[in-house]
Amino acid sequence: MPVVGISIERLGHLLRTPVPQDDLVKALERLGCDIEGFGIMRRFRCVRCGFVLEKTATEADPGYCDNCAADFSADPDLREELDSIDVIRLDLLAVRPDMFDVGGLARTLRAYLGHEPGLALYALAEPRLSVQVMPGLDEEESFRPAIACGVVRNLQFDHDLLKEIMRLQENLHWAMGRDRKRASIGIYDLAGISGQIIYRPVGPDELVFTPLGWESPVTPEQILKTHPKGCLFARLFNGFSRYPLLIDDAGQVLSMPPIINSEETKVTLDTREVFIDVTGPGSTLVNKTLNVMMTSILEIFVGSQGEAVTIRQPDDRCAQSPDLSPQEMTLDLDHARRLLGFHFSDEDAPALLGRMGHDAELIPGSRAAVRMPPYRADFLHERDLMEELAVAYGYDRIPRTMVPTMTVASELEGEGLADRVGRILTGLGFLEAMSLMLGNEEDHFSKFGLEVPAYTVLIANPISREQTLVRTWLLPGLLDILSRNTSRELPQSVFEVGNVTVADPDAETGTKDLKKVAMATIGSTAGFANVRSVMEAVVKELDEPFSVQPCVRPYYLEGRSAAVLGMDGEVRGEFGELHPLVLERFKLAYPIICGELLLPGQGWPPAQLMSAARISQTQ
Amino acid sequence: MSEQLSFPVHQALSLKLLIEKGQEIEIGAVAELLDAPYPQIAGALQSLAKRGLVTLREEVCEEFMLGSKGKALEDGVLPERRVMEALVAKGGRIHMRDLAQTAGLPQKEAGKAIKPLDRMGAATRDGGYLVAVGRLSEGIVPEPGEHEKLLKHLHTHGSGTVDTLSQAGINAEEAMAALSGRSGIVVIKERRRWSVSLTEKGESLRSDDIVARETVNILDRELLKDGAWRTVDFRPYDVQLASKRLVPGKKHPFRRILEDTKRAFLDMGFTEVTSPHVESAFWGFDALFQPQDHPAREMQDTFYVKRPAVARLPDGEIVERVRQTHECGWETGSRGWGSTWSKDKAREIVLRTHTTAGTIRALAANPNPPQKIFIVGTVFRRETVDYKHLPLFHQVDGIVVDEQGSFSSLLGTLDQFYRKMGFSKFEFRPAFFPYTEPSVEVFVWHEEKKDWVEMGGAGVFRDEVTKPVGCDVPVLAWGLGLERLAMFRYGLASIRDIYHSDIEWLREVPLCR
Repeated sequence: MPVVGISIERLGHLLRTPVPQDDLVKALERLGCDIEGFGIMRRFRCVRCGFVLEKTATEADPGYCDNCAADFSADPDLREELDSIDVIRLDLLAVRPDMFDVGGLARTLRAYLGHEPGLALYALAEPRLSVQVMPGLDEEESFRPAIACGVVRNLQFDHDLLKEIMRLQENLHWAMGRDRKRASIGIYDLAGISGQIIYRPVGPDELVFTPLGWESPVTPEQILKTHPKGCLFARLFNGFSRYPLLIDDAGQVLSMPPIINSEETKVTLDTREVFIDVTGPGSTLVNKTLNVMMTSILEIFVGSQGEAVTIRQPDDRCAQSPDLSPQEMTLDLDHARRLLGFHFSDEDAPALLGRMGHDAELIPGSRAAVRMPPYRADFLHERDLMEELAVAYGYDRIPRTMVPTMTVASELEGEGLADRVGRILTGLGFLEAMSLMLGNEEDHFSKFGLEVPAYTVLIANPISREQTLVRTWLLPGLLDILSRNTSRELPQSVFEVGNVTVADPDAETGTKDLKKVAMATIGSTAGFANVRSVMEAVVKELDEPFSVQPCVRPYYLEGRSAAVLGMDGEVRGEFGELHPLVLERFKLAYPIICGELLLPGQGWPPAQLMSAARISQTQ
Repeated sequence: MSEQLSFPVHQALSLKLLIEKGQEIEIGAVAELLDAPYPQIAGALQSLAKRGLVTLREEVCEEFMLGSKGKALEDGVLPERRVMEALVAKGGRIHMRDLAQTAGLPQKEAGKAIKPLDRMGAATRDGGYLVAVGRLSEGIVPEPGEHEKLLKHLHTHGSGTVDTLSQAGINAEEAMAALSGRSGIVVIKERRRWSVSLTEKGESLRSDDIVARETVNILDRELLKDGAWRTVDFRPYDVQLASKRLVPGKKHPFRRILEDTKRAFLDMGFTEVTSPHVESAFWGFDALFQPQDHPAREMQDTFYVKRPAVARLPDGEIVERVRQTHECGWETGSRGWGSTWSKDKAREIVLRTHTTAGTIRALAANPNPPQKIFIVGTVFRRETVDYKHLPLFHQVDGIVVDEQGSFSSLLGTLDQFYRKMGFSKFEFRPAFFPYTEPSVEVFVWHEEKKDWVEMGGAGVFRDEVTKPVGCDVPVLAWGLGLERLAMFRYGLASIRDIYHSDIEWLREVPLCR
């Protein structure tokens, strides 16, 4: 999760009532915020583009501008250091984008602390601007049909506010837009826009415009191929032959969503009015994203004025955007009390919900008609309002009870067996090891002279070469541990009881988990007779009839390995003296005796599980 | 002829010695004469005393020893004597500045001699000179006093008592009087010592009748067979001598955490279940109302499996209900996610990212209350592997399926669990998970870090989760990480220490920690 540094001074200013820092922290934690800590945020301004970069006290000075890529290390004059500010560092709560910025946070806190409970209302001025959506945007070749827009006037920017807005935009792109795929936001200086705005698909070479940070105009196609942001997001236009663009009456391009804005309509310190658009494939999320962006700007800029925009669809349907009317839901208070398990009266409910920024009115039948803010995107179900009640009430005040119903405990059958096998081996002086369930071809097979068996579960997207498959046997893990302990006193005896996984075409998930036990002893006196004694002791204690037969494995010394067979003649396990080749490959300098056994009672493994024997003979 | 009496060897020898000497002897002297360790002789004599054969007598006496200033005297000779000898040698008159050198004394010591000499009437100051008077001026050096004899004696013998000094012809009382006012030359310490003498009964014994018993090292079968052990003594051992290290076979420290976890839930009446490590996306995500475009499902966070490639979806209505719930809420009262749900995505196979896959499977298999279910197991996350992280860890997931289940009883159950695991300071904070509402995160106070550490998440399963699997009552659910408990208990810095164990650590961590 991204972490943001919220200016304590600005937050205090927007709270309008002084709140001690400790109370602030408590309140944020009770709202579910994860506070990383407090600190100083060092600020640098890029002289070339005006972008403000923030670094914590421990981070290095910025070497280049994140916005225009100006190289500060080559030309230190391009980097201007501004005053540091005190910040509270918050882990963003992905589900609450309305709390990503200082304005939204202040709004939530004002309600929660009881200063301004209930719905925050935003009066919008009548639309003066309109956006015409042209046909083609709902077709596959240029699919981005949903658009929502708004205007905010009476703004006064400074470096920090510019930064705050850009940061909010980026974080909304991440949290709501899923990296601009589902929603992308554009903000423009209204002064650079003339007349009405048209949203239409444009051919790759149909026109030219100057992308943000550049000095000369290029075609949309060139932006995708050469501009850093174009390259970064070109995949969002996969399969497109025409690209969605916002253009004004004068032919000035505002942006090519979701890739980039034009240089001419860029927001600067002099901007007094902005036009905002959000586009995406679906209107619900697009509208919600605009609501968050727009109301947060109105919160951050005290005295600013929101204004609606008329959006005209290709079929001439007209609608005003944004829609800041509250969401509505009915809450059954009896149900809520039962589910939450603590008592509050019907009359308490509106106050509790008010602290969470909702308006609630009691209606007959112990119910509440609740009106929720238009910028919240996390209400799918009545249940979501119950959580609002619990948060408002305070998790720390909720009594901690237990269900009164008696139930009888029972342990998993196989677990008891695994535990007993562990006791047999600890009784024989073995130390238990726990190795990873994941491994790789080299350590699990090649080093043993084996090919990767067909029943091995392979990972499609491994994160390192170390872990590319799910283990099918335990011995490799034990050898890994022994090879990490060559400097420790010998002899060393270790065992592991654990799960392995093999492909099983008959199983629902295509795999089957099996419980096995393996043991190994390294030391100068480790010989076949010892491992035979250990294996025999284990099998005897398991109370399983068995027999032992010679077997050939590429990883055991020939003539010093044996298979353990059940009474039905099926191979259940094996043991022997490890081949010196294997010792060399694991960089082990003393003899090892080892064995591995499938725990009984799991049904027989797929026949091919023991195919290692066949592979060995063909080696 | 009288009867032979057998005694352990040290008792026998001590008795024989006492009979031979016929007088009271100090225990130390007995040990010395028998060339045996003092504690063993003392023990032997105590045993004899218990049998009424000897009497032990405690004596308190003063022991004279050189003090720090006395020890500094060369040959135990006082400075005044050296000065007197020097005066005689120089004809009875020495300039003060030459005094030390002439007498062979340190400057400070030479000066200290003047006052006693004056008092003795042997020398006196005359301007810058020290001049012999009286008999000394005639070249006659007085005989050493008692105190000087004492110093000489102590210098040679180290210490002495009134008795031993008197035997050496020294009157201790007089000597100490002469040294009065000069501290640190001779010190007196109070000493206790034990002496032993035969009782009447002891005196009646004849030396020839006393037989020493054999001392043996090992109690062997021969000694046991005919009762011969009764006639021998066993050599005592030095019990403080280091012995060879023995390491019992031990369960892994983390196994103990897993067992404690299981034990805690079994104690609370829970039934243990299991579920596949390699899991279908359906049970891992979809059945838990995790939207198909949720970031956690992306390739960068979850391990997908390429072999085998696809899982089967469960039979019956459940798949269709899950689809409708995702798309429009079905009959759950929810709006749903509003996006199209794909069966193919649900068939994908993943390494399970949470053991909640196991509890939802258990709930689908039996949705009827009341039930308490838990699962402990390995989960996999595609997180960057570094010195601190591994792509897998363990979780305990649990559910309570109960008509009377509530958020309050969820918090109470978690409270009980963490108390059972030995924590007393923990906190519940709001959280968000796609499958629970209300949701809560558990934080435990870390005393060394002085910070709250997140342990896991919990909540009441959403209706979007429970209703499609046929359950209509509240289901309390949680998924808690377990490695951190181990790192707390054993003070580990990294999860790697658990899986790439140092064998020395496995040997040394006490089983009962």
